[in-house]
Amino acid sequence: MNRIRFFSVFRRELSQNVRRPFFWIMILLVLFIGFGISKGNVRVVASGDAEIGGTKAWITSEFSNAFFDAVLIFILYIFFISVTAGLSVIRDDEQKITELLHSTPLKPSEYVWGKALAVVAVFLIVLSVQVSASMFFNHAVPHTENIEFFGPFQAAHYIRPAVIFGLPVIFFITGLTFLMGEWTRNSRLLFFLPVIILSVTLFFLWEWSPSWLDIRIDRMLMLSDPAGLRWLSQTWIKVDQGTQFYNHSRVPMDGIIIGNRILFTVLGFAAIGLSQFHFGRVLRRSKSWSLKRRNPPGYNGSETIRTTQPAAAYRPLGELGMTGRTPSFFETFPAIVRVELRELLFSAGLYLFVPIILLNAFSDAMTSVGPMDTPLLTTSGLFAVNSMEPLTLTVCLLLMFYMVESARREKATGLAPVYRASPVGNFAVLSGKAAANGLVGVLIVLVFLVVGITAILVQGRVPVEIKPFAVVWGLLLFPTFVAWSAFAMVVYSATRNRYSTYAVCLSVLIFTGYRQATGHMNWVGNWNLWKVLQWSDMGVLEMDRYALVLNRIMILGLAVLFTVLAVKLFERRTPDASGRLNRLQFPVLLRLAATLIPFMIIPLAAGIVLFHEVGTGFQGSVREKAEKDYWRHNLATWKDTPVPDIAHVDLDVELYPETRGFAVSGTYRLINPSDKPLRRFPVTGGPDWSNLAWTLAGKPYEPENRSNLYVFTPVQAMASGETILLGFTYEGIMPGGITRNGGGSREFILPSGVVLTSFNPEFVPDLGFHEEVGIDEDNRYDAKVYPDDYYEGITGPFIGPNRPFTTDIRVELPVEYTANSVGMLKNRRIENDRAVYHWITDCPVRFFNIVAGRWDVRKGDGTALYYHPGHGYNVEVIGQAMDAARKYYSDWFMPYPWGELKISEFPGLAYYAQGFPTNITFSEALGFLAKDDPRTQVAFFVAAHEIAHQWWANILMSGKGPGGNVFLEGMANFSSILLFDQVKGDYARMEFCRRLEHDYGENRQKDSERPLVKVDGSRPGDNTVTYNRSAWIYWMMLNLMGRENALTGIRDFILAYRDGPDHPALQDFVEFLKRYAPDSGEFDRFVAQFFFDTALPEYRIDAVESNRGDDKWWIRFRLTNAGTGEISVDIAATAGKRFSDDTGESVPGYRESRITARPGAGESLELLIACDFEPERLMVDPDVTVLQLKRHLAAASIK
Amino acid sequence: MLEIRNLVKVYPGPVAALQGIDLQIENGMFGLLGPNGAGKTTLMRIIAGLLEPTSGQVFFDGADIVRNPDSIRHRLGYLPQEFGFYPNLTGEAMLVFLLKLKGISAPGGIEELTRDLLGRVNLTFAARRRIKGYSGGMRQRLGVAQAIAGDPSIIVVDEPTAGLDPEERLRFYRILAELAEDRIVLLSTHIVEDVAVLCSKFAVIRNGRLIALTTPSEARETLKGRIFEGTADNGRLRDIETTHCVTKAMLIQGTNHLRVYSPAMDPPAGFQETTPTLEDAYLALMARAAAERPVSGKTSR
Repeated sequence: MNRIRFFSVFRRELSQNVRRPFFWIMILLVLFIGFGISKGNVRVVASGDAEIGGTKAWITSEFSNAFFDAVLIFILYIFFISVTAGLSVIRDDEQKITELLHSTPLKPSEYVWGKALAVVAVFLIVLSVQVSASMFFNHAVPHTENIEFFGPFQAAHYIRPAVIFGLPVIFFITGLTFLMGEWTRNSRLLFFLPVIILSVTLFFLWEWSPSWLDIRIDRMLMLSDPAGLRWLSQTWIKVDQGTQFYNHSRVPMDGIIIGNRILFTVLGFAAIGLSQFHFGRVLRRSKSWSLKRRNPPGYNGSETIRTTQPAAAYRPLGELGMTGRTPSFFETFPAIVRVELRELLFSAGLYLFVPIILLNAFSDAMTSVGPMDTPLLTTSGLFAVNSMEPLTLTVCLLLMFYMVESARREKATGLAPVYRASPVGNFAVLSGKAAANGLVGVLIVLVFLVVGITAILVQGRVPVEIKPFAVVWGLLLFPTFVAWSAFAMVVYSATRNRYSTYAVCLSVLIFTGYRQATGHMNWVGNWNLWKVLQWSDMGVLEMDRYALVLNRIMILGLAVLFTVLAVKLFERRTPDASGRLNRLQFPVLLRLAATLIPFMIIPLAAGIVLFHEVGTGFQGSVREKAEKDYWRHNLATWKDTPVPDIAHVDLDVELYPETRGFAVSGTYRLINPSDKPLRRFPVTGGPDWSNLAWTLAGKPYEPENRSNLYVFTPVQAMASGETILLGFTYEGIMPGGITRNGGGSREFILPSGVVLTSFNPEFVPDLGFHEEVGIDEDNRYDAKVYPDDYYEGITGPFIGPNRPFTTDIRVELPVEYTANSVGMLKNRRIENDRAVYHWITDCPVRFFNIVAGRWDVRKGDGTALYYHPGHGYNVEVIGQAMDAARKYYSDWFMPYPWGELKISEFPGLAYYAQGFPTNITFSEALGFLAKDDPRTQVAFFVAAHEIAHQWWANILMSGKGPGGNVFLEGMANFSSILLFDQVKGDYARMEFCRRLEHDYGENRQKDSERPLVKVDGSRPGDNTVTYNRSAWIYWMMLNLMGRENALTGIRDFILAYRDGPDHPALQDFVEFLKRYAPDSGEFDRFVAQFFFDTALPEYRIDAVESNRGDDKWWIRFRLTNAGTGEISVDIAATAGKRFSDDTGESVPGYRESRITARPGAGESLELLIACDFEPERLMVDPDVTVLQLKRHLAAASIK
Repeated sequence: MLEIRNLVKVYPGPVAALQGIDLQIENGMFGLLGPNGAGKTTLMRIIAGLLEPTSGQVFFDGADIVRNPDSIRHRLGYLPQEFGFYPNLTGEAMLVFLLKLKGISAPGGIEELTRDLLGRVNLTFAARRRIKGYSGGMRQRLGVAQAIAGDPSIIVVDEPTAGLDPEERLRFYRILAELAEDRIVLLSTHIVEDVAVLCSKFAVIRNGRLIALTTPSEARETLKGRIFEGTADNGRLRDIETTHCVTKAMLIQGTNHLRVYSPAMDPPAGFQETTPTLEDAYLALMARAAAERPVSGKTSR
């Protein structure tokens, strides 16, 4: 390789690239991102003490930078590198200098390496600017608001991650796309590569990580992630290591990441080497190769290629009778479409990458995961909606590349002068090209359709429906493609430069994603409908149908506007510089704008209406202001003010699902529970009520209206124990208007179903000041800090009233609906062609709700399951769970006090289930559509959990204060563990415990975590402690105390606290149960570690040696507790498989030998297990009875 | 009639490609002769509606082409100097496509017309072959086929014979001659023989300026008695070149056969008067123009 020639190529390529607008847009982007990160718009490492003044995870740490680099460099650079590297050789071909260059002594190696390394150098410059910008914005001009997120400056914290995570990506993508470009000389083909790599990485490698994933597969996936993010996330970030670690440590490297980075670096260089080899081969053989390709059919190789033939007798041209005229649109449009399609069909990309897209989509469909990491059944609607985002992203990117390539096809092939001198109209040219490219998009969507249908058929449980595909892809997705194509075309027409077009379009995509990620998107700006669709099989897009229609009209209108503008801007004649300046004069531009006015009317009108609807919708600014006013006006006066209790609720509710309307007329019988007179009391009303009228003590009453907080002052103060009747009538809409940017709603009245609860003042008046209303990031305050002895004496309820009450509820609605409420159905009658359901409580309740739908019903033993007729998949499992839960919970905790236990399904506009007394509501996405198998048993779990709330919240309410919710939710999950154990057996229980543990390990926030008795839900990570850690601690406590001791204690505990007036805290609970513990000292140690501290064992096995004696195998090993708790734990040496993965049943032939050990925190023990069989594996806690971190490391193979 | 008034084109740089061209062209074959970079292609592209001039006007049958380039497109047959086709289409499919874009029809239908046109440019045998397998000459002939298609009122051909072998060149001459009977055929070339064979009238441009507008016979007539022929060895040739305008020097069997333009009718010793050719006239014009206005750095493209 000649150094001078190599550097000559290198310098030329480098200087060409750094002069392109593309490069400078990239530089601006990385500067902007560096500024944005510094401003604190994005946080990556979630760790940190959330409390004000607590230590925060620095965005300047090596971990934060590693995360940013892994994500940003991959997502941002991939397209820019692909375009720059991929087009490097193609551009020389287009400029027709390839042959000239290679008629010089320039060698393929000098040419290929010079060019490829110049591209690498370009992006090293960009990377250097990015790193420098981060350093500058974080340390030279840090944002004072976020000063707690900036650590001291250490250059290595920036440089190391950039080298480790950035360089291999640059090498890999450069090499691969350079090879693609050089090999195929087809610019379209190389654009597929980043699209595919990005979509596989983004939607699969980074996302898919269910708790049950085999560690070996996980490692393979880490190894195959070009960005290295999966490794970083799975190994160091998902399981929170604590702020100290993240802020001060380097990213510890292991074999996987080292191998991964070396692999992708080597692949990149190997691709350049292969490119050199191929390029040299093609050059050497170009003559024979091209002759061979040009040979006509039948050519036998012995004759020279014929390029002429003897002239025929000449006839004058006039005899042909040719005439010419300006052709119509309808004559030229089909011809252009046909020819464009024909050219597209010669694009190898379609044949190479569509199968890869297909595979990607197929795996996406088959691995879709719902709440609690549960695999979901793939229905047509869910597939259509879930694939919207990958489909939108990939097809929009492809359309952008195809449109630009199509628009410049004539220029690239040299046909431009002939084409542009012809009388064909611009509109026919542009629309013909757009239509042909649109058909490619349609082809890909059709491929997706085939994939979807195949996935559903392979699944074998859900019928295929075409309607959801037609609605979601046909009506919603297609306009996006049309508008995007038109946008790409108008940008190209305006800039006449492919690089500028790519830069503008990619910037629009990135900006859209940024607005989405930062929560600033709304229906007006959401042109691609990302993250807005909430599918329900029970009703097609009912929630935001109006917004969707307006949005699509706006987008189609914009597509027309862009098309018209593209036609106007598309210059077939090369403009003169002075002419161009003349056309930029204001009057000329004004005239252009005037001609566009008719095409602006529809998108503008739709956009304005949409903007207004967003503003006045239930998540809009009008509502936001009203709620803020409520908060500002009343906080100081009415927070914590005493309110009366409800003694009885009497309601008449009319529901109109078609119009979302409701009308309520009813009374609360209120009682003063306090021993002091009550002079006045506040009631929070609904934000969208109309025709509101109140009565007090049976007489019309005008309360003081304080921004929706109504203050009632009885004529005489209510004496202790005195009752008074509060009456109300009003009408309303639920939800009132459209959402801000799609998504669902927790309560609604829609044709597909109705969910209304007494939790919020949307449906019925709520006594007192509602503390959460009007709170956002601007005025959020820290949770109340309770003294350690807060629970002594009488403690109020964690939520709801001080005492249960009775209800008498009548619901009127269309006859085709069934209405369920709390208590027992007294009767159902028909009045004026409407059904009236009358529900009364047979035992007092603390909450009430109304749920309605068009259901089938499964009746069980004192249970009833109301479900959508098309969702029968898991009905038997849920029904059995209901029967079993009612029976066993009654046995274990307390007999169920109500007559019937109901579960009713509602549309999947929200993913939750709520355990109202006797009347549980279930989202369709929970349980009903779960892919239930012996490993996940999700349908069983959700039912078990929610039914447990009949006891833990409805029968027994915990006390208000820290730990209150920990008790309720933890006990519900603990009850589920017991029910799994009882009904499903060891395997299912162990899998369930593993899942809870996995969720806890991934979502805990080490620095924010507090003991169970202190958790109040205000900190990040509290949720998983509340649900998962606490359930585990109760389960460990049960094992420590002995099952019967613990259950007896729990039964007595319920009896002691059920009727109040004191509501128990966790401290009351452990103090009460200590009486039933066989070893109170051990119990105290346990409680101190796991209730009053955040102890968490973490076991490791190493130094394993296996020796065979005369009749035994002796396994010597070291057990280390790298965690923080101390508890007895079993270690087993095993041979064979214990349970069948398919059935969960025990497998014959499994053998094990166990010992028990108790390593303290940080302690290592040398241990020995004797086996009378040849063991294969060592496993800590084989029965899954000790909560621990990184369980997968607490095992070892025995060689 | 094609009328060009004070046409100026300045490229960014600035490079003055056309510096005020005035021309009136009637039906018939009109040649545009000039050296490389004289501004011929710029003028052709402006006439074809592909390039916006900096100033000036171009009218075709009264229609202003500069203001409304669409007005000429349906009446135009255009063969650019450099062009290509979609490589994956066959010659036949490509031509059908272009005929449709041009709105061309014929009594026998467009497919039959395509076959006829391909026959005229001697491409019938390659009609079903993909264009990426065509030689340069075959592509040029396909270009000719599309340019002569329809019944254009004006045909603009820019260096059309480049890449054609002598046989095809003659065939193309014949086609152009036939077309020129009742329309304007504007032929841009730097090959004097093309003009000599075909054009009844021609213009010579140099550095963006029109330096002559004449007929081949007029051009030859003006040189009568001023062209001399003789032989010289290499040493004498160098001397003659310093004193006279040598319009042609051919080495035949080791001897230089020279043609010399001598406006003062003062030939080198031993040279005899001979009949002027168009090439003599063109080179004499160039020599005269060079003497009057030396070429400066950035004046033309």
